[in-house]
Amino acid sequence: MKHVFLVIILGLSQFIFSQETHTIRGTVKDFSNGETVFGASVFLKGTTIGTTTNEYGFYSITAPKDSYTLIISYVGFEDIFKEINLNTDQTLNFEIKESETLLDEVIINADEPERVNIKKPQMSVSKLNSTTIKKMPAVLGEVDVIKSIQMLPGVTNSGEGSAGFNVRGGAADQNLVLLDEAIIYNTSHFFGFFSVFNTDAIKDIKLYKGDIPAKFGGRVSSVLDIRQKDGNSKKFTLNGGIGLISSRLAAEAPLFKKKGSFLIAGRTSYAHLFMPLIEAVEDSKLSFYDINLKTNYEINENNRVYLSGYFGRDIFDISSLIKNQYGNTSANLRWNHVYNDKLFSNLSLIYSKYDYQIILDFIQLDWVADINNYNLKYDLGYYINEKIKLDFGVSGILYNLNPGEIKPTDETSPINYLKLEQKRAFESGVYVSAEHKITDKLTAQYGLRYSRFSRLGGQYITTYIDDQPLVYNSLIGIYEEGEENGETFYEKSESIKTFNNLEPRLGLSYQLNDFSSVKASYTRTSQYLHLLSNTASVTPLDVWTPSGKYIKPQQANQYAIGYYRNINDSKYSIELETYYKTTDNRIDYVDGSDLIGNNNIETEILNGEARAYGLEVMLRKNEGKLTGWLAYTWSKSEQKTTGGKAGGPGINNGKWYNTPYDRTHDVSLTGIYNFSKKWDFSANLVYQTGRPVTYPNSQYIYEDLSIASYSGRNESRLPAYHRLDLSATYIPNSNIDKRWKGEWVFGIYNLYNRKNAASISFNQNEDTGVNEATRTAIFGIIPSVTYNFKF
Amino acid sequence: MTNYIKLTFVLVLLSFTSCSDVIDVEVPTATERLNIEASIDWQKGTTGNEQTIILSTSTPYFDTTIDNTVVGASVKVTNIDSGTEYIFTDQNNGTYTISNFTPVFNNTFTLEVLYNNEVYTATETMIAVPAINRAEQSLEGGFDDEVLDVTIYWDDPEAEENFYFSKFDYQELLFPNLDTGSDEFSNGNEMDEFFERDKEDDDGNSTEFLPGDTVEISLYGISERYYNYLSLLLDQYYGGGNPFSSIPAELRGNCINVTNSENYAFGYFRLSEYDTLTYTFE
Repeated sequence: MKHVFLVIILGLSQFIFSQETHTIRGTVKDFSNGETVFGASVFLKGTTIGTTTNEYGFYSITAPKDSYTLIISYVGFEDIFKEINLNTDQTLNFEIKESETLLDEVIINADEPERVNIKKPQMSVSKLNSTTIKKMPAVLGEVDVIKSIQMLPGVTNSGEGSAGFNVRGGAADQNLVLLDEAIIYNTSHFFGFFSVFNTDAIKDIKLYKGDIPAKFGGRVSSVLDIRQKDGNSKKFTLNGGIGLISSRLAAEAPLFKKKGSFLIAGRTSYAHLFMPLIEAVEDSKLSFYDINLKTNYEINENNRVYLSGYFGRDIFDISSLIKNQYGNTSANLRWNHVYNDKLFSNLSLIYSKYDYQIILDFIQLDWVADINNYNLKYDLGYYINEKIKLDFGVSGILYNLNPGEIKPTDETSPINYLKLEQKRAFESGVYVSAEHKITDKLTAQYGLRYSRFSRLGGQYITTYIDDQPLVYNSLIGIYEEGEENGETFYEKSESIKTFNNLEPRLGLSYQLNDFSSVKASYTRTSQYLHLLSNTASVTPLDVWTPSGKYIKPQQANQYAIGYYRNINDSKYSIELETYYKTTDNRIDYVDGSDLIGNNNIETEILNGEARAYGLEVMLRKNEGKLTGWLAYTWSKSEQKTTGGKAGGPGINNGKWYNTPYDRTHDVSLTGIYNFSKKWDFSANLVYQTGRPVTYPNSQYIYEDLSIASYSGRNESRLPAYHRLDLSATYIPNSNIDKRWKGEWVFGIYNLYNRKNAASISFNQNEDTGVNEATRTAIFGIIPSVTYNFKF
Repeated sequence: MTNYIKLTFVLVLLSFTSCSDVIDVEVPTATERLNIEASIDWQKGTTGNEQTIILSTSTPYFDTTIDNTVVGASVKVTNIDSGTEYIFTDQNNGTYTISNFTPVFNNTFTLEVLYNNEVYTATETMIAVPAINRAEQSLEGGFDDEVLDVTIYWDDPEAEENFYFSKFDYQELLFPNLDTGSDEFSNGNEMDEFFERDKEDDDGNSTEFLPGDTVEISLYGISERYYNYLSLLLDQYYGGGNPFSSIPAELRGNCINVTNSENYAFGYFRLSEYDTLTYTFE
C-alpha cells in the first residue's frame, strides 16, 4: 500500500520546476466579521497561476521570481489588487469587503462556486451559503438546509414527513452528513419537517453528489459537508428569529483581544406550549431544541485552535402513553497548523452520538439505543507548485453501537430485561489526492483512498447450520430464519471480520474555451455502516449496524460526465451532467422481515445490488433583479436481490425492481426577485414523479377479514408530487448604519393546497366491510410569518 | 409488540399533522387463486370432533359482488402419526365439514385438497394453549385512560418458545379484532393482552365499552411459522401501506400446489387449541 503512495508522490515531484520560485501564503477573511472565507480565488494577474482558499481560508501560491499583481476575488465582495515583488517567501493576509454597489442585486452569486466553475476538475458538487438558503421559501417559516438541497438536480426525498434525503437514486443512509466534520446520524427534527441544522450557525454547505474527494469515505452516495461559523471576531452581534413554531437566537463575539471568537446559537420549538389549548392534543407534547457552539483562538500566525459542538433533542409525549426522545450530540476539537509556506495541516478529534429512547406505557416497555463514535483525523494540504496541490491524510473512527436495551417500566410489567449485543468497530482510512494542472486547458484531480474496517469483538456471534442464517423453504416458497447451531464469543481484542478496500477517485476538466468546459469523473466508494430500515420512510427507530461476518460492505462505482457553459458574460450558466452508478452488497429485507429487537439481523436480509443512472440539467440566472435556477433530472434507480447462499429466487423473484427513491422526472424551479430595498420575493416550484409503492392486486377472505394480496415490490406509483411555495421578505428600515436590523419573512407553503399523498393505504372499512384506498397527505397550505433581527 | 412500536410513529404522525381521505386508485389485477381457510380449532374441554374448512377464490381488490365460493372440491385431513384419514363433506356452499375429527396434541396432520384437477397439500402440527387465568376490566389500561378496557391474563410456559393468537369479538363489530403475540420479550411470565374501543367514532358517536357490554375473548396456541404468517397478514391488514409499515408483499401460507407449484393457494392449514371466555363489563 505504502508503495502506491510513494509512486504517486515521486511521480508528482517530477513536475517541480528547477527555476527559482517563491511562495506567498496567508488567510482571507471577511472584513465585516472576521470569518475566514472558503473558496475565494487568489491569483496572479496575467498568468494561469492561482488557487482558491481552503475551508480555513488558507491559500498558498508559488511562482517564479518576478513582480506581479496579486488579485483576491470573491463574488459579492470587492476585488483586492496588490502589487507584489516576489523575491522572497512572504505571508499576506487579506480582509475582503462586501461590495456595496452590488449588494442590492447579488443574491445567488454571493459565492464564487455557486456559479459554474468551469476550470476546476471537481464536478457533481453544489455549494450554497447561508445567504442563499435564507432567501429560499421554507415551510413553517424556518429556513432549512435539507429542504434547500432538494431544490438541486439529483436530490429528492420521500416527501413530507420523511427524514433524510436521496442523492442520485441512493438511500438516505448512503449520505455522509458532516457538521463541522462530525458525523450526524439523523438529520431531522419532527420526522423531517425541520432539519437539525440551524442556519444562523452555518457558514456554508457543500454537497458532493459524485466525484467525492479522496479525503471523504464511509458512504457510497454523497457527502454533505456543513461548516459552522467561527463567530464574529470584530464585534458582538446578536441574530435571531421569532416564528410561529420555533424561535432562534445566536450570539457571536470576539474573545482574547480579537485573537479568538465564539458563536452560540439555540433554537427551540414552542408548539407544545399551545397544545394544552387544543382539546385533541391537550395531553400531548411535541417539541425540539438544539444548541450550536463554536469557539476559536488564534495562537499565532501558524497555529489556530477550534472547538465546536452541537446538541439537539426531539421530545414527544402522547397522553403519557408514548414517550419518545432522540437526538444527536457532537463535538470537535481542531488544531490548524501551518508547517511552512506550502504545507497546511489540520488535526481533528471528533465525537458524535445519536441516541433514542421510547417508553410505551401501555405495554410497560422502555427501550433505549444509541450509536457513538470517536474520530481522530489528520489532513494535510501541500501546495507543491503552481501546477500541483496535494491533499493527504489519515483517519480512524471507533464506533460503539448499542442496538437496543429493553427494560420493564415497573414491577408488574410482563417485559423481561433484554440487552441486544453491543457492537464495536474500527474504521480507518489513508488517502492522497492531487489537483494537477496538466496543461493550461486540462486539469486533473486524482487520488486514492485506502479504507479498512474491523468489526471488533466483545460480543457473541450466532452461527448457523451450513453457515446459512437465512434459508429458502422451497416447499412453501418463503424465506425463513436459518437454524442456529451455536454461538462464538469474540474477545474485545479480537477482530471478528476485517475488510480492506482501495477507492480510486479521478476527475478531469478540459476547458473548451473561456466560457465552457467538459468534465469527467470516476469515483469508487465503500460503506461499512448500514441503516436497517424495512419501511418506506426512515424512522428515528431505525438501527445502524456495522458490516461483519454476515453483512458485507457496500461498494459503489460512479461514472459521470458533464458539460458546463457560462452564457452572456456569466449572467447565465448551464450545467449538464449524466451519471451511471452501481452499488454492490446493497442489503434488502425479505418479505415479512422483523427488525425491531432482533439480535440476528442476518436472518432477515439478502445481499443485492443496485444501479442508478440519470441526466441532470441545471440552468441558472446569476445576476440581475431576478435570479434563480431551473433544475431538471431524469433518472432511474433499481435494485436486484437474488437468493444467493440462502437459495431461492430472491426478492421480487430475483428481477430488477424500483428502489423507493426512484423518480423518473424531478423538476425544481427556484426564483428570487429583488423588488426593492425593502422587498424581496422568492418562489419554489417542485414537480416529482410519484414514489414507487406496492399496491394490492387481489383480495380473499380469511378469518372473516378481506385480506389484500400485494403485487411485486414497488410495481406501482403514488400520484405525482408537486407544490408551489412563496415567500416575501420585508425590511422596514434598510438604513445600513443602524445597529438594529429587522426583517419580516412571510411565507406560504403549498400555495394551491395540493394534497400530495405521503402514502396510500388499503384497508377494509370497519362499518361497511368494503375495501378502500386512503390517502394520507401531510401538509396542505401553510402560511407562516417570522421576524428576524440582527444586532 | 413490534406492531405497537411501529404504530407509535403512525400515531404521532397522524395526530399532529396529517389529513386523510378516501380516494379512487387504480390497482393491478392478478389471476384468481384458490383460498384455503383450513382452521382446525379445538376448544379446551371439548372433543373437537366438529370441524369446518372453507374454500373460496380470490377476487379483484375492489370487487364487492362476485360469488367466489368453491364447490365440488374434495378435502381430506390425515393424522400422520396415527395414519387416520378424515374426509370432509362438501356442503355446496363453500364449506366442507366433518363431525368425527380427533385432534391430538403435537401430532402432525396433512391437508389434501383436490380442486380443478390440481392437488393442494399442507402439513402442520396441533399446538396446545395455556388456560386464560382471568379477565379484568379497568380504565387505566389500554391507550385511553377515560374508557373501559378488558385484559386477559395467562401463564406463559417457560420451557419453550410460545406463540399466540387472540380474538376479541363484540356484537357491534363487523369483524373480530385479532392480534398475535410471542413470549420473545416475556418468556415464563404472566402475559396479557388488552382490548379497548375508541371513545367515539369519526362521526362523534360513542363507541366505548359500557357496563353490560359483553365480549367474547379467545386465545389460541399456534406454531412459529403460522405466527410469522399471521403477524404479517395482520400487519398488512391493519397497516396497509402506511409510511412506517414494512413494504407489503404477497403472503405465502403453507398450502402448496403439487400439480403446478406456481398456482399455490392463499390461506393456511392450522391446528390450534384455544381457550375462550365471555366477559361482561360491570
